Amino acid sequence: MRIEEHPVLEFERGKEIYFYYNGKKMKAYEGETIAAALHANGITKFSESTKFHRPRGFFCGIGKCSSCLMKVDGVPNVRTCITLVKEGMVVEDNDGELPDGEVQEAKTVEMEVDIAIVGGGAAGLSAAIEASPYASVVVIDENPRPGGQLIKQTHKFFGSKEERAGTRGIEIARLLREEASKKCNILLNTSVIGYYDRGHHFLVAVNRMENVVYEIKARKIIFATGAQENMLVFEGNDLPGIYGAGGVQTLMNVYGVKPGKKGLIVGAGNVGLILAYQLKQAGVDVVAIIEAMPKIGGYMVHAAKVRRCGVPIYTKHSIKRAYGSERVEGATIVELDENWNYVEGSEQDVECDFICLAVGLTPSVRLVAQTGAEITYINEAGGWIALHNEYMETTKEGIYVAGDLANIEEASVAMLEGKIAGLHAAHSIAPVENFDEKMRAYMENLKIFREGVFGARPKMAKEKIRERYHEKMGKGRSG
Amino acid sequence: MKERAEVVVIGGGINGSAIAYELAKRGKEVVVVERKWLAYGATGRCGAGIRQQWSTKENALLAKKSVEIFEKLEEELGHEIGLRQGGYLIAIHDEEDMKQAKKNVEMQRSIGLPVRIIGEDEIKEIAPILDPKGMEAIAATFCPTDGHANPFKTTYAYAMAAQKMGAEFYKFTEVQDIKVEDGKVKKVITDKGEIETKWVVNAAGAWSSKISKMVGLEIPNKPVRKEAMVTEPVKRTFDCMVISFKHGIYFSQQDEGQILGGIPSPEEKVGYYTQPTFSFLRHMAYTLGKYAPPLKHVRILRQWTGFYDVTPDALPILGETDIEGFIQCNGFSGHGFMIAPMTAKLLAQLICGEKLDMDIERLNMSRFEGEIVEEKSVVG
Ligand SMILES: Cc1cc2nc3c(=O)[nH]c(=O)nc-3n(C[C@H](O)[C@H](O)[C@H](O)COP(=O)(O)OP(=O)(O)OC[C@H]3O[C@@H](n4cnc5c(N)ncnc54)[C@H](O)[C@@H]3O)c2cc1C
Ligand SMILES: Cc1cc2nc3c(=O)[nH]c(=O)nc-3n(C[C@H](O)[C@H](O)[C@H](O)COP(=O)(O)OP(=O)(O)OC[C@H]3O[C@@H](n4cnc5c(N)ncnc54)[C@H](O)[C@@H]3O)c2cc1C
Repeated sequence: MRIEEHPVLEFERGKEIYFYYNGKKMKAYEGETIAAALHANGITKFSESTKFHRPRGFFCGIGKCSSCLMKVDGVPNVRTCITLVKEGMVVEDNDGELPDGEVQEAKTVEMEVDIAIVGGGAAGLSAAIEASPYASVVVIDENPRPGGQLIKQTHKFFGSKEERAGTRGIEIARLLREEASKKCNILLNTSVIGYYDRGHHFLVAVNRMENVVYEIKARKIIFATGAQENMLVFEGNDLPGIYGAGGVQTLMNVYGVKPGKKGLIVGAGNVGLILAYQLKQAGVDVVAIIEAMPKIGGYMVHAAKVRRCGVPIYTKHSIKRAYGSERVEGATIVELDENWNYVEGSEQDVECDFICLAVGLTPSVRLVAQTGAEITYINEAGGWIALHNEYMETTKEGIYVAGDLANIEEASVAMLEGKIAGLHAAHSIAPVENFDEKMRAYMENLKIFREGVFGARPKMAKEKIRERYHEKMGKGRSG
Repeated sequence: MKERAEVVVIGGGINGSAIAYELAKRGKEVVVVERKWLAYGATGRCGAGIRQQWSTKENALLAKKSVEIFEKLEEELGHEIGLRQGGYLIAIHDEEDMKQAKKNVEMQRSIGLPVRIIGEDEIKEIAPILDPKGMEAIAATFCPTDGHANPFKTTYAYAMAAQKMGAEFYKFTEVQDIKVEDGKVKKVITDKGEIETKWVVNAAGAWSSKISKMVGLEIPNKPVRKEAMVTEPVKRTFDCMVISFKHGIYFSQQDEGQILGGIPSPEEKVGYYTQPTFSFLRHMAYTLGKYAPPLKHVRILRQWTGFYDVTPDALPILGETDIEGFIQCNGFSGHGFMIAPMTAKLLAQLICGEKLDMDIERLNMSRFEGEIVEEKSVVG
């Protein structure tokens, strides 16, 4: 199941190591996650549902969905999709049994910084690069490597030249990573688990590999926690082999492991289209892309590329059910009429061993919600959103948002918003020279970017966000 | 929204929902007005422990009668409530505690509760996960018929059964004022309309004093922020709720395996504060690790806050007031869930002019004019 040859990527696999899965010895490479190593060995069932013991595999691949929990070295409920495999590691089914043995006391590290940035994706890293010449900055990311969604994008990016259009996502991630790590402190494998208002902004973060608790006092916080993939409701949607598109990309483009032999993709937006192309690059067959809308949502260039690879795109189609006993063995797809109802008799069975859902993202708003910043539901923005102004500051003073968290958009926007937030946060601690000029340039770029065809929805979302922000702030700042 | 109803209940927590049911069952036309959604208040944030081991007879009796109702409630309401009777284990830390425990147990046994004092060995037998040394316990009291129920399921079970019998629930509707005429309740004014009525039940939890003010009554209730947490699920290892009056901790394992509990926060203060604190989390984690060392391996999933609606004697305020038709049903402090079934029944009997199953004169508002007998067995 490993990808040996790839037209774009070269997998730098670490040292060959061995681990145990339910007593069986298996091969892995240092630097890959347990989930990737298990997949490479053909294991896709990771856990069972609590009530009916239905088999579950991983869905999101970024530590958010909890369907990959296993027992690792005696510790139950470990998120195997973001935990690296180690020599001699014992991985077992999760029985919830508590280990005997003492617990190693966690070390507490207290920190005080000007600006704390939660999330090291395009937005977070850009904010860090922007702010660190003027302020002390720490970036915290719970993944083993920074870069967020970008680390799995093998395609060349659209967007503005300044935001590195024409460059592959992985390459952008590398550049941002290199620049940021020269300028500020980046804590990896570290999850921010809580925000507390102690008269000042206070974050608690945990490095679960090294058992360290960080208590961080910050003057400003920029939340850039990104988004998580949407689930779709259909029969059998919890079978192992049903993944979020991003989960498959992580597996395939970061760890060089194939999700299966033959896949069905649900959703013909950019994510679905690009994924189909990436699967083909990795030597995996794609039976079809289905799309409920009458029209393809993504860029035509991507759609054309996909068609050239021989992957059919069925619009006005949806998935009715997935079947299989221990993992996906096939799916029933169905045509939709104008009222989104199933067209009778249009059911078709397709044979596939995995299904990718590329049906949109929802901002990961829960952490920023803890600050007390005003959160509102805005459909065009992807769901619950922290209201913010043009400088990305929320209704709570000193709390900023940027990137997908602030509206589901694209990497160029995430980078620009990161810069705006970073610059404004730094400037409000101590005046930054040429602030107005810099800010104007970033805002101008953002505006130009949103002028495009695909800018209509995000633009509308942003207008609503601002409007409600000002409505709210008219009544005074919270906190 | 109806323009007229016989009874308007303010608050869609466990108490408001249960009263609506008891009234509807008696043929009364009742509406419930809830500012947010069912179980939004303390009910949806509580430990939902059901304990009969109290130091005052009123509380012990209310709880005991409630347990008798809880035991048959699924059948009566036709919905699941998630009741589990795994007992309450209350730590005894020293001789002083032991004296009070003996006194309590004597009273509790006199009303028919199967409570007993157990030694360190039996503590370990009942819940092998516990470490009596870490608990600083020399013994414990244990009542096997105590337990807990699911607060959401129980509230919904009552509400659905009430609706089936004609009660109406107005959610996202806020009571903004109450009109009184000639010393009698006349009308409830909400942001969605007005309802004429003869009876108003004030079951607004921590907001009850605000509702009281609308009819010109002062009650001594104070909102106190309480914090709770829940861990990830682990294998079921113990059935009882474990509590200590000295350390203020309480915790139990839920059906799905999570550990749910609370402890007074080091930053505790009176007022409508809703932000959780990190000091609570540290303090809770530390104490939990002492009580049940294997739990040190378990990760906390969530923490949240809710309000205790606290009275000076930690006993609820129930019954009639100087305003005719205005019924108090609040001040439950930390234990309004467990006594709700009986409280609701008694207040419904009162409103319907029936003979009450139990005398609640002593829980009337007027008691604060005399000497206060405080409930001592409080946690959290
Ligand atoms: C298939 C696909 C194709 C795309 N194609 C394009 C394209 O062609 N052009 C384009 O411009 N954009 C594209 N995008 C969108 C782009 O990738 C995103 O908009 C961008 O990566 C968002 O960046 P971000 O920093 O806001 O979030 P993310 O990249 O999601 O980063 C968020 C980071 O926060 C971390 N985090 C979250 N919570 C915590 C916590 N509690 N503690 C610590 N860390 C935390 C996460 O680990 C993650 O690293 C594409 C996206 C996908 C999925
Ligand atoms: C952390 C914690 C742990 C607890 N543990 C336990 C336990 O283990 N066992 C136990 O028995 N008890 C426990 N309690 C106490 C118990 O939760 C409460 O006593 C009980 O839930 C009170 O129920 P209620 O229906 O009276 O009030 P609530 O559940 O608070 O309901 C009151 C309702 O009134 C509504 N309201 C307020 N103002 C208005 C208005 N103006 N108009 C309309 N509606 C309004 C609110 O929105 C709310 O939904 C605990 C409480 C907390 C906070």
